[in-house]
Parts: sequence; structure tokens; C-alpha cells
Amino acid sequence: MPAVATTRDGPDAPGGAGMSARRGRPRGTPLQRRQARTAWLLAVPFLLLFAAFTAGPVFASLFMSFTDMRSTDLRTPLNVELAGLDNYTQLFSDPLFRKVAVNTAIFVVVGVPLTMVLALAAAVGLNGIQRLRGFFRLGYYLPVVTSIVAVAVVWRFLLQPDTGPINQLLGVVGIDGPDWLGSTSLALPSLIVMAAWRNLGTLMVIFLAGLQTVPREMLEAAEVDGAGRWQRFRYVTLPLLRPTLLFGAVITGIGYLQFFEEPYVMTRGGPLNSTRSVSFYIYDHFGFGNYGYAAAASYVLFVAIVVLTALQFRLLRPKT
Amino acid sequence: MTTYTPPPPSVSDDADVLAAEPGRGGDRKPSRWLYVVLAVGVIIMALPFVWMLLSSVKPEAEVRQIPPTWLPETFTLENYRELFDRLRFPTYFFNSTLVAVVVTLGNLVFGSMLGYALAKLDFRGKRVVFGLVLGTLMVPGMVTFVPLFVLVSNMGLTNTFPGLILPYLVGPFGVFLMRQYFLGLPDELIQAARVDGAGELRIFWSVMLPLTGPALATLGILTFLTSWNNFLWPLVVAQTEDMYTLPVALALYSVGQNATQYGLLLAGAVVVVVPVIALFLAVQRYFVQGIAMTGIK
Amino acid sequence: MSRQMTAVAALAATALALTACGRDDEGSDGEAAPAEEISEGPATGNIEVWAMGTEGEGLGAFLAGFEEENPDVTVEVTPVPWEGAHDRIATAIAAGETPDVSLIGTTWMGEFAETGGLEPTPTDLFSEDDFFPGPWASTVVDGTSYGVPWYVETRALFYRTDLAQQAGLEPPTTWDDLKTFAQGLQQAGAQQGIYLQPGQGGSWQTFMPFAWQNGATLTDGDAYTLDSPEMIEALEYYTSYFTEGLSQNTVLQPGALEQMFADGTIGSFISGPWHIGLVRDAGATDNFDVVPLPGRDEAPGASFVGGGNLAVFTDSDNKDGAWKLIEYLTQVEVQQSWYEAITDLPSMPAAWEDGPLTEDELVATFGEQLEHTEAPPAVPTWEQVASVIDTDIEAAVRGTMSAADAVADMQSQASSIGTGLQ
Repeated sequence: MPAVATTRDGPDAPGGAGMSARRGRPRGTPLQRRQARTAWLLAVPFLLLFAAFTAGPVFASLFMSFTDMRSTDLRTPLNVELAGLDNYTQLFSDPLFRKVAVNTAIFVVVGVPLTMVLALAAAVGLNGIQRLRGFFRLGYYLPVVTSIVAVAVVWRFLLQPDTGPINQLLGVVGIDGPDWLGSTSLALPSLIVMAAWRNLGTLMVIFLAGLQTVPREMLEAAEVDGAGRWQRFRYVTLPLLRPTLLFGAVITGIGYLQFFEEPYVMTRGGPLNSTRSVSFYIYDHFGFGNYGYAAAASYVLFVAIVVLTALQFRLLRPKT
Repeated sequence: MTTYTPPPPSVSDDADVLAAEPGRGGDRKPSRWLYVVLAVGVIIMALPFVWMLLSSVKPEAEVRQIPPTWLPETFTLENYRELFDRLRFPTYFFNSTLVAVVVTLGNLVFGSMLGYALAKLDFRGKRVVFGLVLGTLMVPGMVTFVPLFVLVSNMGLTNTFPGLILPYLVGPFGVFLMRQYFLGLPDELIQAARVDGAGELRIFWSVMLPLTGPALATLGILTFLTSWNNFLWPLVVAQTEDMYTLPVALALYSVGQNATQYGLLLAGAVVVVVPVIALFLAVQRYFVQGIAMTGIK
Repeated sequence: MSRQMTAVAALAATALALTACGRDDEGSDGEAAPAEEISEGPATGNIEVWAMGTEGEGLGAFLAGFEEENPDVTVEVTPVPWEGAHDRIATAIAAGETPDVSLIGTTWMGEFAETGGLEPTPTDLFSEDDFFPGPWASTVVDGTSYGVPWYVETRALFYRTDLAQQAGLEPPTTWDDLKTFAQGLQQAGAQQGIYLQPGQGGSWQTFMPFAWQNGATLTDGDAYTLDSPEMIEALEYYTSYFTEGLSQNTVLQPGALEQMFADGTIGSFISGPWHIGLVRDAGATDNFDVVPLPGRDEAPGASFVGGGNLAVFTDSDNKDGAWKLIEYLTQVEVQQSWYEAITDLPSMPAAWEDGPLTEDELVATFGEQLEHTEAPPAVPTWEQVASVIDTDIEAAVRGTMSAADAVADMQSQASSIGTGLQ
């Protein structure tokens, strides 16, 4: 699997003084042998299920991407022509693919930081209160569990051009609100905000867990040293949170590069394909039965995900 | 010098671990403003959920009203009645619960096993294994869907619980999450335990794993939700009605060839969400319980 | 690191080499084998049936009559949600784990038949003449029929009788009438004289009837024939409703249409029989009617036909029983009582001549319309071409492309996609 390339940038071991010390030792001490044995033992369930359920389908679909397979070949999947890189070249010459790639890039570049910041703010805020803690946490998690149909109805209502609350608010300050979802330039930004709203609950839960690894003593010590709230957050909490932040960034990046549900329920990719994403494009082509072509598009998306993840690993690498 | 003291169970309830609120001095009490901001946020977050609840007890015509209305003009439990009359709920509920619980437990146990190995143990091939984990996470699910089904079918697992469960039993998400969490825990604990003569597996199980309460809670709720809501896989694997899970069964009559029954759909969504919310409320208190790493300096 | 990469690459290369066998030109998958002989006598054995949504819910109990006539048979009906049904059938065909019979959406026929997963229809058992022509055409892929129409739906014109009366207008029978009609409804108080879908998924179903009424065709049997003057003229006519402000150019959200029709904001629209109930639920009871679509110069005009077919799978081990079950479901009386059970419209003209279908005037209108329908071509690539048409309709409606350019774009994309038949 080409994914191994990403690990070149790992492992991001923060606070791991012990780790680098161990790495210096020669191989083969009893401790190291014991560690290796234990590690492989712990890896068995994943590796077994990976071999059984992931490896085969990945190879099969990768192979599919180099053929002209269509859904009409379903009963005779080997009875297809090798197409070499045809699917890939055709993909990049499709103007619609280029458009959805740009849409997706915008979605990721704006959406990931936005969601991260909002989720971190929510997690920090919720971690700092005592009363009604469970209530507030559930409140911020609700969008994650709410039926997408209800989400769509309410968001369409909020974004309604004439009667929607958002435009009415804008009207109060004298701005004539636009038709958010009907405009080719505003529909995508609207969906980005909606996606951030919908996904910040998941990240918030992850960050809440990460915040528990920050030892109180360190914060107290920093306070004794005269550090203010922001400084304590910036210089104590944030560095210790780095593994969790990296996880959040990677997961959100992977999710947003594959964003699909929001345009699917809100705009069906319109107006004029301005909210169509790469995943939507792939979904369509699988639906059309163009299996080889859709598989090729999937692996292009995969490469984009690998690159983004590698970048994030580099960006959030511990500073030494 | 390193000594590890297990956290007293009640410590969390009056301790703040956050930079914003270190437990000391004048700024200990969360400011009123924080509550105000959070409350405004909650309202924005909860709107669609509230609409979903309220609309599930409206007649169909009222649900379809545009702009949407909030309070039901006519209160009716008809949507729920219809749902429970037409669907064999106990069966679907049992299937969904069995699948989601086993998948969640599998991810918790196996995910923390490999996550720990990747974070804290030194071994050759570590990068490759981590690469496999990340790679699995990054391949778009759509592309492997048909080959996976053919594979599962060739194994004779269609229409069985193993067919529904095994492909999801240990996900890369869980491994990655646990690895990152373990990375945040100090190595000194492991070294101290080694000095005390504890075996590697024992260190994992008895020393490190108990510290991961918040991460396990997070992974638990996220995995459960994903599995509980999974639609397409159970749809193709469960070939007879008695193997259907809740989301598959709920989709049966609410979405038609040309028209959708929104009242029915929303009532179904409310029914599905109840166990998830119960689980969230049950585990959310673990988000504070985990760590009081007193003594580590 | 690089060692692992090499190993992976080598493995992949081997896999490619091993499996590089290529498509055989015989086209064994698509080729129609002669239909199997169906035995005399009652059906026996176990018959597994997949049916979607309400059809799936009602069919099990409905088949009591069939089981009575064929005492040695057991029918197992599994209801399948419409959402995802296409994927479920596709994966089942891929894995050879199909039921014996399934309900299949009319627009999926080309794709599934071309896999070789569907059995040709035994012509001694079913006669084309017993069915409406449009629906029957949806079963015919590359000259061979692979299933039988079970139920149908078609689109007709819904309009507000009170507004029409106020404007002093009779229901339209020509294109010119329709335009005047929409204008009149608007003058009588509607904000939109007619709502036509301005683009996005499925808008071809509203647009194509106009093209068919004008004599345009989708294919000539072998290739797409979208760029005809008739098609351009129809699209110009269609877009004129938007430029003249008779229809809004953004897509309505679900639920809005019925409501705006009921409160008089929209004067008329084109849709299928399911909208009768929706419109009534929204509050319009006595003040609307449904009429067949107008034609270019005179009524009646062609409309779109959809619905569901019943097909038998190649991997079925009880094809004999399966076809007998379908034969049962396509008897005139059975089609009528199926309508009474779940209001599915019969696919056979004979079922409309007497009995329950004649009792409801609105429903009877759809029966009239069914005499003049066209089905999209049953080719594997149809869904893709349909989405191209949808996109180009949207572009023309929004004015980012002229009708002629939009039609030319439809054709060039469609011909590069091809029909997918081998």
C-alpha cells in the first residue's frame, strides 16, 4: 500500500524523552525482544482482519482502476480490457472533475481550520465549567446525532433568501441578504459553515478527551510563575495537546476531502455544480456504472488524502 | 523521580484541568460570560434537533410546512404508532444493538492494543504497520464496497452476524485515536513498572489502559454511533428481513420511489437517536475522570 | 521503507499480469440466450422475491391467492428500501446471491440486463400487446425483453380550477394554450403560472415530454440523437417559461410545491399520481384537477413513463416458479386488486377498462395519459446521460448557455459516453 510513504514523517512522539533514549540502544537487548514480541501480539487482531477484509478489496479496486470495467461486467469482472492509465488521463481532462477538485480543495482549506478552531474553543469552554456540564456537552454534540433530513430542513430555513432568520438579521443592520444556496459563489461557503457546525461535536469530544492529559500541576506551576490564561493555554495546554490536535486535523482532513452529505441533501451539487465535490463525482460515476473510472477517481482522491495527511504530520510535528 | 498515584475517583468533580481554569486563586470560578457564550452556542447547535423532536409529533402536512413551523398545531403520535405497527421493532433493535455493541467492544479492545504498541513499544516494522493503519483510514470506502461484498459473500458470510460485524471489528480510526492518546501519556510510568518487574502485557493492561478512560469513552461513543447508523453495508449483507438493522428497516417505508414521508422518517430518526444520547450521557463523565498525574514532575 | 514499496509494486504487477485476459468480442454477457421453456402446471418450490418499499410490504400477504392456486409453492417476500436498492441488486448480481424475482426500477433495466444477470422474458407466456407500449419498451434491451412491467406511473398537468375559472380558461391542449394558460393563472393571482423543474436531478423527466411532443428522440436505437432542431426548439420553449417569469428558476425544496399549489402561489405543475394525495394533504381538496399533457399542436402530448418491472435472475434456481409468479401478477383482475391494495397503477390497458380504476376521475386521467408515453432508452449508460441533460437544462434555464449550445453539449457528452451496449 502506497500509504506507507506517510509514515516517513511520523512518529510524532511528544514528551517522549524515554523513546529517543531507547532508540539509541543497539538492537536485540532482552527488553527490545520482549517489546517486539508484545507489539506483534497486540497487532494480531488488526493485521488478521486487515488481511481478511481490507487487503483484497483494496488490490481488487486498484486493479479495477486500470481497466475499463463497468457495472455491466459485474458477473465477469475479469473479462475486461486493461486500460492502462486511460481512466486517469480521462479524469484530468474532464472539466467537471477539475471543477469538483477545486471545490473540494476550497472546502478543505477553509473548512478544516474553521472546524478545528471552533471545536477546540468549544472543548476548552466546556472543560472549564462545573454546572450543567453534561447538558452543555450533549448540546454541542447534538448536530452529530441529528437526522440529516432535519438538519437540511432547518438550515434551508435559516438560509432562506426572503424569510430566513439570517437575512432578516442582516436586514436589521441594513444589509440586503443574498440567496445563499441559489448563488454559485455563496452556496459553497454556506455549506462549509454548515459542515463545521455539523462536525465540531465529534472533534469536541476528541479534544475533551485530550484535554484530560494535561496535568493540573503544570498549569498551576505556570500560574505561580505569573503566566496569564492565554499564556497557560498557549504554552502549556496546546503543546501537550499536540497528538490529539494532529489526530483531529488528520481525521477532519480525511473527512472533508470526502465531503458529500451536505451538498447531497442541501443543493444536489448545484447550482451549476458549484457545490459538487470529488466524492459526489465518484458517487455519481459508481452510480452510472463506470466502475473503473470511479475507482481511478477514488485513488486520485486517496493520493490527495495521503499528501494532506503527510503535510499535517509535518506541520504538527513536535519541535525539538 | 517518578511515582504514579492512581486518581481518586471523585477528584474530577471539583478539579479543573484546563488552562482557562486552573484550580487556584481569584479566577477559579468560570465567568458568567463563558456560560452566556456557551448557552448561545447550545441554542444554535440544538435547533435542528429540537425541530426533529417537535416535528415527529406533527401530522405529515404540518411537517412539510414551509417555512417550517416549530410547535405542533395538532399533536399526534400517529407517526410513532405507524412505525411500531409496521415494523418488527424488537428484532431490528436486537440486531442493531448486537452489531453495534460487539463492533464497539472490538474497537475498544483491539484498537487500544495496537494503538499502545504503535505509541509506546519499539519494534521493527512499526512504520509499516502504522502505514497500513493510516492507509486503511484513507482509502475512500466507496471504492472497496463491491469487492468487499463479493469477498464476504465468497466466505459465506452474507446474511450472518459475522458478515455484519467482522469488517468493522477493528477500525483504523480506533487504532489511530488510541495511538495518539497513548503518545500523550508519560513514558516514565512504563519505565517505573518495568523496574518493578511487570511484564509488557501487564504494563499495557494494568498500568496504561486504565489511564485511557477519556479516550475509550470518546472512541466508544464515536464507534457506536457509526455502527448504529451504518446503512449501506447492512442493507446489502442482511438479505432477509429478520437480519435487518434499525436504519435499514426505518428506510423501508419512509422513502418511496417518488415521494418521502417526512413524519415517519423523523419519528424513526428520534427512535434511533435515543440510545445514542443515553450512551453519550452515560460516558461523558469519563471525560474528566482520567488523569491526575500527581507526582510526575 | 523503499523495500516495502518495491514489494507492493511487484505484487501489484503480478496481479495485473495474471488477470490480463481482456473482454471477449463475443459479448457473451449481453447476448440474449433464448428464454427457458416454462413447464405446464402449477408452480412449485421456493420463490424468493425482493420488492421495494410499500410494494415489498404489501406483496407477501397479497400473494395468498397465488399460494392457494399453487399449493406446492412457498413465496418469501423480502421488503427492500428504495434507498440503496440499486446498490443491493448490483452487489447481489456481482456475488451471484440474487433472489429469484425482483422489482426493478425501469431506468435500471439496461444496466442490469447487460450484466447478463437477468433472464430474457419467455415470449410464450407474456405478450407485448397486453401492456402499455412505453412501459414495455423499458424492458427491452438491445432487442430482447428482460422483464415485465408490473406497475406504472406517468406525469400529467395539475392545475387550480378556481384560478382557471377566474381567468376564463379551459385546460390547455397545445403549447400555445399552455403558455396562455400559465399567463392567465398568473393574472388570476398566482405568483407563478406553472412550476417547471429548472434543473438538478430528474429535471429531464419534466423537460423530455416537451421534446417528445415536438418529435425529438433520444436515440435511433444505436446512438444518441439529442442534437435535433426539435430538441432545441423544445428547450427554447421550456426556458421561455423562466425568462418570461412564469416559473421560478431555482429548485423548490421538498414539500414546497404542494403547499404553494394549495395556497395558490403556484397555479399549475407537472407531476405523477402520488401528488394527488400530497396536494390534498396540503389543503387543496376541491379546487384542482389533473389533465393529460398538451401536445405541440394538439392534444394529447406524450409524457414520461416510469414505474417498476419484474425480472427473473439468471442465478435463480426456480425460474419456472418465478415466471409463473410474474404471470400471476400480470393478470388483469390481479392488477386491479393490487391497485386496490396499495394504489399501484396497472401496466395493462385492459385493467383500466372497468372496475376500480374507472372510479376515480383523477386516476383515470393518468390512464388516459398512459396511452401516450415514452420511456427513456433502456441502455446501461442512461443514468449518466440523464445527468448530463439535467445539467444542461439548468445551464439553459439560468441563461449561462443558449438552448442550441446546451443541446450541442448534451449530444457531444452523450456520444462520448456511448450507449454502453456491446
